[in-house]
Parts: sequence; structure tokens; C-alpha cells
Amino acid sequence: MRRRYFLLGAGASLAGCARDYRPRLNVMNWSAYIAPDSIPKFEAEAGVRVRYAIYESNEEMLARVGGGNSGWDVVFPSSFFIKPMIGEELLAPIDHSRLSHLDHLDAPFRHPSYDPGLQWSVPYMTGAAGIVFNRSLTPVPSRWSDLWNPALKGRITMLDDPTDVFGACLKRLGKSINTEREDELRAAQREAFQQKPLLRAYINAEVRDQVVSGDVLAAQMWNTTAQQAMDESPAIGYVYPAEGYCAYLDTMVILRESRRQELAYRFLDFMLRPSVAAANALTARTTTTNAAARRLFPPAFRDNPTLYPPPEVTARGEWELALSPATVLLRDRLWTEIKSA
Amino acid sequence: MLLLMIAPLGIVCAYSLLTRGPYGGVMRPWSIGAYGRLADPLYATILVRSFWISGVTTTLCLVLAFPLALFISRSGRRKNLYLSLVILPFWTSFLIRTYAWMFLLRDTGLINTVLQTLHVVRQPLPLLYNDGAVILGLVYAYLPFAVLPLYATIERMDVTLLEAAADLGARPWQTMLRVMLPLAAPGFIAAGVLVFIPCLGSYLTPDLLGGGKTVLIGNLIQNQFTTARDWPFGAAASLALMALVMVLLAVALRRRREALL
Amino acid sequence: MKRWLSVYAAAAFGFLYLPLLILSAFSFNRSKFTVWEGFSLHWYQAAFADTELSEATVNSLVIALTATVISTIIGTFCAYGLWKKNSRALLGSLYLTLVTPEIVTGISLLAFYQAIFRFLHARLGMHTVILAHVAFSIAYVVVVVMARLRTVDPRLEEAALDLGANEWQAFREVTLPAILPGVAAAALLAFTVSFDDYVITSLVAGVDSETLPMVIYAIARRGVNPVINSLSAMIFFGFGALILISQRLEHRGSA
Repeated sequence: MRRRYFLLGAGASLAGCARDYRPRLNVMNWSAYIAPDSIPKFEAEAGVRVRYAIYESNEEMLARVGGGNSGWDVVFPSSFFIKPMIGEELLAPIDHSRLSHLDHLDAPFRHPSYDPGLQWSVPYMTGAAGIVFNRSLTPVPSRWSDLWNPALKGRITMLDDPTDVFGACLKRLGKSINTEREDELRAAQREAFQQKPLLRAYINAEVRDQVVSGDVLAAQMWNTTAQQAMDESPAIGYVYPAEGYCAYLDTMVILRESRRQELAYRFLDFMLRPSVAAANALTARTTTTNAAARRLFPPAFRDNPTLYPPPEVTARGEWELALSPATVLLRDRLWTEIKSA
Repeated sequence: MLLLMIAPLGIVCAYSLLTRGPYGGVMRPWSIGAYGRLADPLYATILVRSFWISGVTTTLCLVLAFPLALFISRSGRRKNLYLSLVILPFWTSFLIRTYAWMFLLRDTGLINTVLQTLHVVRQPLPLLYNDGAVILGLVYAYLPFAVLPLYATIERMDVTLLEAAADLGARPWQTMLRVMLPLAAPGFIAAGVLVFIPCLGSYLTPDLLGGGKTVLIGNLIQNQFTTARDWPFGAAASLALMALVMVLLAVALRRRREALL
Repeated sequence: MKRWLSVYAAAAFGFLYLPLLILSAFSFNRSKFTVWEGFSLHWYQAAFADTELSEATVNSLVIALTATVISTIIGTFCAYGLWKKNSRALLGSLYLTLVTPEIVTGISLLAFYQAIFRFLHARLGMHTVILAHVAFSIAYVVVVVMARLRTVDPRLEEAALDLGANEWQAFREVTLPAILPGVAAAALLAFTVSFDDYVITSLVAGVDSETLPMVIYAIARRGVNPVINSLSAMIFFGFGALILISQRLEHRGSA
């Protein structure tokens, strides 16, 4: 019994400290997507406190803010999630007059197809899924087909996500990653079945350490995770596959439920400020959509082919779009079959 | 409190009878389509696999936990200390424990490094990302769930009965088999339930240690509520699973001719 | 027999502690990776500097302790009630909460909260997490306490009643002492499931109720980070010290 009281006492005394009563902005972002000192800097500038939480998937974020009374103010959905979120009336329209740094954005991102005129969202970072590999491989991988190489059995991984796996299979077949055709999806599934015996695992960013340590020789991976692995070991390389690849864009939005719109705008504008945007991309090893920020980069980072590939490479990229419910249903069914095979 | 336990169940029932919304979530019309989709051999194989993995895990947990519970219950004043020590590793996060195992099992992990240094094996053994790793992870995760109820029953056991058996000439293993195990039956049942059921619904361990290459029923349901955003089907699948487990429990109870609890 | 049991127990504790001891050892590693490069306390400094971590630790402790106290009390009385008078409805609903996959419990609790909060104008927070934890840990408490109760002879209590005790006295003076070790085991289990829960908590947590598992999950998903090694070593040794101290106190109290 004594133990219980002891613990209670310890808990109560801990609970006594560490509370803070400044006004607070609640921000939820993808993991590893910001410079560590950006939030403290904003807190100091605005005299507020920021609750900064992270999520790992759009769905997780939507489940948490979907009720419309979650308490969050700013979140970072992917571009293809904007339309559903407008549909569910979760977003507040963006008032451009309150954002002084909006014109620093790269030209292509000022009028994107998913949100023409940026009425609801502000672009943040972009990314893409390609192949990260160990330079000891000869020849080094250059296309998706190299991930079907039997010589690498047990040393390959793919992302644990239907969009990315189907994307790679479809690209290998020369199809669009956003296809709605059942026969193409089924053909892609056959490719995945063929590949599965060669795979070590379906795994996301956590594979990074196994790539660095050499346990995994080639992996389907996001460019930002690959860049982190390359920073850690010179033996690691990255390639945008010749058949084409899947690209995505993440945005910043203000939730309709937010009671602190003023503060939320201030935060968005802060994140758009070139020095802040540059610091975020530089430390998180990501691709910013902010042209002015890019000019502030050290040359080695600005010209780095993993995060800032030349135009002939980006031409191969295909933006991820929202699929029809029927296609999502079919794709998930096919995905379950692949995984349980 | 009962409301808090029952109301969500009602919500799940309602979800399972609705239609998937265009962006996930649920909407009308009401329909039983989600249940229809359950009648599919694909899901039967997933179910059988899940029962197999959970069954092996539960058996291993019970076998491993019983001697430990026995040891603790015989430790006099140290009882509480040992009991706390069983629990202690589980106050560090589940995820940390799983990562610790991944760290041990990897090709360049501790076990393989030691084996290779000692020249026991030349190539690293593929320890991670298979069913063995999943079962190991599950046993590790649920072992205290088996130790605690077993301890709670054994601790209470009348030692004079065991002494009587010994006085009557029973060997230690005979005492164990004929007297102690039957007396510990309620503990075994409680432990079995506490391990088997959460095992069936688990999804993080199979994902992390199995390398996402197998789908268990927990993964299937989890996936419906996340990436697939098909809540009605996820709700229907979980209700079907719950019903199945309840029926199995009821049958197991009837055979024993006593209340489970 | 006894010696084999001790050997086995040592092996079993080895199995339980091996992964964590190795993690703890590597928390003193200077390198970020799994190659030993020398002793350093760098990752401990990093863990202490992280206000998010310390806040989450406090939240987790408050939530787990509150939920444990509430669910142990309710659960013990549920078990006691079931022992005296078998109720299929209560038993069934308890089992249902055990059988429900965590993600389903989480989603449905979230939907439930969102539905009633629309009228109450309340928000998710610590209280919703605590309520959720109580809801899912009661069943664990009942199962463990019940296993213990089944070894108690009901006639003892009847005897107490015959001797003039009222029902409350009979429970307090006769049955409760007999089941106390079971209740303690149940409380430990409840604390464990609450302190360690991620799936349900992450869904019902509000903006100010991040728990330790949520923060750890977030850190771990970004790949290896020795900060979580040092953190787990601290939890591990911190609680270990607490257990030893309380053990000392208990022995001194009883001696």
C-alpha cells in the first residue's frame, strides 16, 4: 500500500510544476518536418506558446481533427487531402492580405490544380519516392525493375503503403500512378506478387538505419529520408527511377474550428519567411516550395540532386491525386491480398 | 462507466451498418454490404493465421509464466519485489521494447554479431521479419499478463495440500501435475484470456517485427480505419471477430462446466 | 526442484531484461548509431532539455495513476459483485471490452466523445484520456481479482455475517484482506496497460494531453534516436529505484 502513496506523492509533486499559461497555438505537423529552433523562435517573437504535435499519415490527422472540435489550429495535409477536407467543411479560407510572404513561393506552386488560387491552403514542402541504395552494388540501381533483381533477395525493402507500392509497380509497367482502371491495377498486383519473395520487409522511414548499416542494399524510399541516410554515410546513393516516380506536396491549412485565426496567420506567415523556410528545409532535409528560401541555401544543398533534382528528372515525376472511392476500395483489397500472400 | 463501455459498442454497430463516405467516415444509406464482403476466403485465411499465431503465443506464455509465477509465490518476503520486477520492463514504452528486439535481431544486430564472432554461423541468420520474430515479440509483450493472474492463484494455494501429496509418496512432478496444475486452473484460464485476446487484435508487433509481410486480423481492421478509410468494413470485421471470440469463450466455459471468471 | 525453479527464474528475468539493459548501455554511446564510439552523457542532456518529453512524462504519470486508482476500485467491486451474484450482462460487457480491438475502442470512443461534446461544448483533454483508460482497464482488473476470489471460500464471509458483521464489514474484514494480493496485482496490471497504451490514447488525446508513448512513438518513427534510449533507461532505473525504496519502507514497516 505504501508504494501506492509514494508514487501518488511523486506524481502529484511532478504535476505541480511545468505548467505555462501564455496564449497557445496548437499545431500538428508530419514528423521531422521543421527546424528544431523554428518553434521556440516563433514563441519568443509572438509571445505565445505552441503545442507542436506530429502525425505519421493523413488519415491519422483526419481522424484527430475530423470532429470539428479537436482544438487544433494549423495542420499540414497533403495536397490530395485538401479536397476531402473542404468537403467535410474543416478548412478556413485563406485571406491572402494577411500573408506578407506568399509571393516567395515558387511559380508552379502559386496556382496548383488541387487548389487554384490557393483559397484554402499554402504549399509547404514537396517530396518523392525513389530508390535509396548502397553504392557497393554493381551496377547501381537506376530503375524500378532493379528492385526485382533476384540477386538482391532478402536485401530489398518497399514502402509499407499501397500508394507507393502500386505506384512503383504501375510505373514499371509504364502506367500512371493515378490509374482508375481495374486491369492496370491487377497487372500491377501481379508485379507485386512476383517481387514479394525477394523482399525483406514492407517498411517506411524506420528502414533508414538498416540502409546505413548495410543490412538493406536497396529500398524504395522518400527522398528526404534518403538524404538523411546519405548525410550519415557516404556509401549511400539515391536515384529517381527512369520509369518515372510518385511525387507529393504537403500544405499548411488553418482549421475552421480555430479560435486563434490571428495567431494562426501569424504562424503561417512566419513559416513562409525565407529565412525560416530555408532553416526548415535545411535541417529537415526536405524540398521547400519557397523560391526565396532556396536562394539562401549553401550551394552544396541547393544543387543537391536528391532533394533538388534538375528539370529533366522532375519531368518524370507524377503528382499523387485523390482517387475515386471505388478505386481506393479495389486497391486496398488487392493490397490486402499482396500482404497476406 | 458502463455507458462508457457500451455506448462505443453501439457506435461500432451503427458504423458497420452504414455506407463508406466518399472521403472516409460513414454516411447513409444503411446497408449490410460490409458484412457480405466478410464472406471471402481471403479473410478466412487471415483469420486462421491470426488464431494460429495467437494460439502459439498464448501457449508459450502460459508455459513460460507458470514456473516464474511459482517461483515468485515461493519467495516469501521478496514476493512483491519479484512481482514488481516482472512488470518493470513494461513501464518503458512498448515501442522501445520492440525496437530493442529489432536491434538484437537485425543482421548486424547483437545476436548475429556474437554468433559470427564465435564462428557459429558464417552468414547472418535471418532472425528479423518472420513469424518467429512476431511470436517472440508477442510473447515478450504479453508475458506479464500471464504471470500476474497465475501468481494471484498460486499464491493463494493451500500449501498443506501439496505437503499432503508429498507425504502420501507423490514425487515432485506428480504433485505438480496432479495437484498443483488443477488447483491453478482458474489462473490459467484468466491468463489465457488476457494473452490470447489482445494478441488477436495486435497489429504493431506483426507490423514492426514481421516487416509488414503478413496480415493478421488486427492489421486488417487497423488498415480499414486508417489507409483504406473503410470504416463500415472495419467495424463489421471487428464485430465479427468479437462475436467469434465470445462464442469460443462460451463454448470453452460450457465444457468446463463452470463460470470462466 | 527449488533450485531448478531459481535457475529458471534467473533465465526468465534475463529474457525480460536483456533488451532493455542493452538499450540502456547504448544510451551512453557517443555515436548516434549502433556502433560503440565512447562514453557520453549527451543523450541524457538532450532528454532533459526536451520540455515536450518532461511534460508528456508528467501527463502519463497523472493519467496512469488516476486511471489505476479508479479502475482498481470499480473493478474490484465488479469482481466482488460477480462473485456474489453471477450477472451475465455485466460479465458479457466486460468481456466485450477485452475482445474489442484497440483501434476500434479508440475510434468508437472518439466518435462517442465527439458526439456528446457537440452538445456540451467540451473538448478532448486529460479527462477524456483518463475516462478511456479507466474504461479499458476495468476488465483487466476484474479478470485478475476474480481469479483470486475464486480461491476464497464464500463460507468465510457467511460465517462473519452469522457472527453479526454487516455486509460491508464482512467484505472489509474478511474478503478484502484475503484478495489483497490479487488487487495489488490487478492494480499493477492496470497501471501497466494505462502507462503503456498508445493506440487508444493517441485517438482520444486532446491538444494538452500528449502522453509519453505518443512522444516516444513520434521520435522512434523518425528512425534511431538515442534520446529514447536514454529516456527508457531513465524510466527503467527510476521506477526500479522506486520499487526498491518502497520495498525497503514496507519491510521496515513490517519489521
